[in-house]
Amino acid sequence: MSESTTAVAPLHAEQAVLAAAVQRGEPEWLLERRAEAARAFAALPLPTPALRPWRYTDVTRLDLAAFVPADTPIAIEGGADGDAPDGDAYVGTLSGALEGRRALVAERLGALVPATEGKFIAANAALWSGGALVHAPAGHAFDEPIIVTVDAGELADAAVHPRLLIEAGEQSELTVVLRTRSGDAPLLAAGVVEIDVAQAARVRLLIDDRWGAATRDFTTIRARLGRDADLRVASLAIGGAILKQTVEVVLEGEGANSSIRAVALGDGDQHFDFVTLQDHVGPRSISDVEVKAALAGASRSIYYGITRVGEDAAGAEANQQNRNLLLSNSSKADSDPVLEILTADVIRCGHAATVGPVDQDALFYLQSRGLDRRTALQLLVSGFFQSVARDLAVEGMADDLERTVFAKLARAVL
Amino acid sequence: MSETVSESVSEPILEVRDLHVSIADEPDVQIVKGVDLTVHAGEVHALMGPNGSGKSTLANAIAGSPAYVIDSGEVRYRGEDVTTLTPDERGRLGMFLSFQYPTPIPGVTMVNLLRMAIKSRRGEEPSAREFLTELRETLQTLRMDEDFARRYVNDGFSGGEKKRAEILQLGMLKPELAILDETDSGLDVDALRTVAEGVNALHHPGMGILLITHYQRILNYIMPDRVHVLFDGRIVRSGGPQLAHEIESGGYDPILQELGIAVAAAAS
Repeated sequence: MSESTTAVAPLHAEQAVLAAAVQRGEPEWLLERRAEAARAFAALPLPTPALRPWRYTDVTRLDLAAFVPADTPIAIEGGADGDAPDGDAYVGTLSGALEGRRALVAERLGALVPATEGKFIAANAALWSGGALVHAPAGHAFDEPIIVTVDAGELADAAVHPRLLIEAGEQSELTVVLRTRSGDAPLLAAGVVEIDVAQAARVRLLIDDRWGAATRDFTTIRARLGRDADLRVASLAIGGAILKQTVEVVLEGEGANSSIRAVALGDGDQHFDFVTLQDHVGPRSISDVEVKAALAGASRSIYYGITRVGEDAAGAEANQQNRNLLLSNSSKADSDPVLEILTADVIRCGHAATVGPVDQDALFYLQSRGLDRRTALQLLVSGFFQSVARDLAVEGMADDLERTVFAKLARAVL
Repeated sequence: MSETVSESVSEPILEVRDLHVSIADEPDVQIVKGVDLTVHAGEVHALMGPNGSGKSTLANAIAGSPAYVIDSGEVRYRGEDVTTLTPDERGRLGMFLSFQYPTPIPGVTMVNLLRMAIKSRRGEEPSAREFLTELRETLQTLRMDEDFARRYVNDGFSGGEKKRAEILQLGMLKPELAILDETDSGLDVDALRTVAEGVNALHHPGMGILLITHYQRILNYIMPDRVHVLFDGRIVRSGGPQLAHEIESGGYDPILQELGIAVAAAAS
């Protein structure tokens, strides 16, 4: 690995990070962590393509200093009242929870994704602002989806650091939608989402990425699942220039169940890179990954996913699928699903990857019914995404995705 | 309009003139070697022939399949030369192919496909009420369950369901030319009767039908005006409905022998 000795941009330096944190009125314990994260950021190199998860997304020439850290605009709707007393459900900004929920936040923030783990993660830990905390105490069920919107608006040459902490107590239920938006100016987003799903809790996370055309997003989502916990993550990758999303699920408890689903719809030079990990620790745990990309223009999709079944995960079931539909001659996809199985006692462990053009017979069939080629492709892609769309946890999202497919492919190079 | 047609007064729907067709991936392999055929409005023409004679190739070439190349000759639809049109242009004009092997389209419901196909054909979205009424009626005609329309197109369909689904589309799209490519294959007697009755119910004086079949069986239900025998890419004999019975009782060999075609030689 080449040691890129990128000079730390002034605003990423420890002093500047601390000054900003002090200005936000953050408590002492957090200031210490900010400082540690800033030091980690300075010490860590940018990941290089020598690292397997970064093989096809080369960020070594990314000039982080060109993106000025900005406050991360975040809006939160739905769920409980943020002023509710400790012990009750909480939905609100993370910064607003620093005093009232100090014990929870201090214990859980950074517990699943430590600041020192990587360059972008360290940047997030040092510089996140606003943030969101969703806390469902044991037995609490949120009736409505909680909508967290990060809208960078017209921010230009800026870096934003979305941070979500989702704490689902035993037998609780919650649905979070993370919507990301930005204008057309260059923007860097380094996000971190930590999800703790306690025993028999149910969590749904839907990520609706509609970044502007010049946004580069590097986000890590990591979840820990307790016994019989159930997590469904669905990611819709529509916007952005580069979207690198790492979704890692540790199925710790017996009978834990997770599903990770993603669709990417690319055009132009869009670059989508998904990394997934289904880490089976507990016995009889079940996981399912399905990542689908439809690629027009010169867009590109990369998938690298690991299914790991540990020694103690007897009776585990895992499924991993990556499907790529090339809608143009210049689009490209790389797929690498990996199995690491350390126990002989698995019920089922499958993986599959496909890359190819649309089925010409299907295209002719639809065209023979009078649909022009573009309309036929719109319909085929919409159908291709259906296996993910039909399970989206929020009403109206499937229709919205279909409309998005038709609108985006109406202008795409096919 | 050309004057080549003699006895019939009705409009020629399909005119195939000296058509030569090859496989796109294997340009040296010519399958259709000079076919002439005219189907007038209101008529049913049966195209019969042994396996490998070029029936499906002809059907697909008429519909504009990119899997085939038209080397020479022309296809005219209602007087218009459509030889170089895209399949969707042909579809919008009113040409319809009922596929021998309908392709599954996972994730796309029949309702969705029908709505979009009708929109493409008419240039505007059908009103929801009108569409649903029509859909229900057509489903009833074909003795199909309403749930059928909400399933993904041809995905997990049985052989019989696939063929019915093709005729459902025929009924909803109301083409003036219907090419039925072995719509009878894979159907049991009851399903065959239902599908055939459906076709008869949907057939109107403005519509021409080219019915491609291996067996005479379906012709017990759908009465052809003309029967053609295709062999080695050419129509070797044409006649009235009795020709189909001749084939049913004696197979193709006597006809071919009569024409001086040595079957063994032709097969090699």
